[in-house]
Amino acid sequence: MKILNLAKKIEGLQTVSTISKTLNISERTAINYVSLLRGAGYLRETIYGAKKIRMYKISLLKRKMIGNPGFYEVLDKNSRVGVYSPYEEDRIYGKKLSIEETIVRAVKTRKFRIILSSLGLFSKVRDWKKLNYYAHKEGLGRNIGALYDVARKVIKVRKIDKRVKNSLLKSKVKSKFIIPLIKSKDLKDIEDEWNVYIPFNKSDLEVYKE
Amino acid sequence: MISFKEQIELFEIIGKELNEETECFAVGGTAMMFYDLKDSTKDVDLVFTDRKSLNEVKFALDKSGFKEKTNVKIFRNYEVAETMPIMMEGKKTRFDLFYREIICFKLSETIIDRVKEVHEFGNLIVKIVSLEDIVLLKSATERKKDRDDASEIIRKANIKWDIIIKEAFHQTELNKPLFVVFLYDFLLELKEDFKAEIPDNILKELLKMSEKEMVKRLKKKI
Repeated sequence: MKILNLAKKIEGLQTVSTISKTLNISERTAINYVSLLRGAGYLRETIYGAKKIRMYKISLLKRKMIGNPGFYEVLDKNSRVGVYSPYEEDRIYGKKLSIEETIVRAVKTRKFRIILSSLGLFSKVRDWKKLNYYAHKEGLGRNIGALYDVARKVIKVRKIDKRVKNSLLKSKVKSKFIIPLIKSKDLKDIEDEWNVYIPFNKSDLEVYKE
Repeated sequence: MISFKEQIELFEIIGKELNEETECFAVGGTAMMFYDLKDSTKDVDLVFTDRKSLNEVKFALDKSGFKEKTNVKIFRNYEVAETMPIMMEGKKTRFDLFYREIICFKLSETIIDRVKEVHEFGNLIVKIVSLEDIVLLKSATERKKDRDDASEIIRKANIKWDIIIKEAFHQTELNKPLFVVFLYDFLLELKEDFKAEIPDNILKELLKMSEKEMVKRLKKKI
């Protein structure tokens, strides 16, 4: 069988067991096929699933990896709460996406899972000024400040620079809602301090304690 | 002709010239280069969903030394086009900027939903349409090398033919009845002359749709 035809038959996410079932071959032969596909450049990535099962991402297109990781990849790699990218490729050219900018971009999406995942990034913030800059640029100052306080409740986060905190507190926001029409039942203290609505309850944050 | 590397450099230049975030969709050879199905392209085809973004990119190209070219007939199906692209000519390449539609094909919501890749060059965000949509678009913008490109995609990738049928039907609903006729002609040519692996049932289905649309058109004329 030609390698291209083989790749066409099993394109997508596969394990040794699914390959052997699809092609009706033994698992030993399936392992040999995986090795052949890797050599020909059709095996893009090996992912480890539950119980450390190896999953192979087989793609017919041998794409060049250029540029730097995009928003979804940076978020997924740096947070305990994983996110699934809607794109197969998401790249940024000419710069590296910083943790600080990723947090602000996450809040800009106004999506629950993305914002929940971004809380994990606060532990990796090194440059508070940069966070302040991007937050102001997008009109999300108080929203970001409030989420910093939420993150502190569940993960270990460095203390924010006082000047930055004051600047965020005084900032104007486009909307008091981080996610339209969603308010918190338990985090009223943070909501009152920052005068914005938090989209999470305490139970939502349990995922960081697991 | 420009290589992939040169194309990336051009996008980076445009991204720096733009004052605000501008989104566009790469189609044709430009998109194929991102999928590593082509090494170089004659022109860079970009589709915009709003006029403002198109004008911003046109202005950025103008500042980068590109000049607008008019009265250039680049497509076989030019006479059916409702909106013409803006063509910006440079030393090595030309940018074709389309607004919402490419000759007899509309950039529909379903195409936008199928976008597989996003590449960010400063303020320029380039979204790459799916391979199925590149094949569909090639039938609308049929130029000299489009048939080669489409047969190369069909040979190297797993084309989901149900998507092709669904989108062809969707285009007729979007008031582009002739698209399905062009698509049938195009795929038949690919199968017969280029020996592309196109399932017979797909061609039959498209023929049925084309005949239906032609009858509708004739009835309207009578």
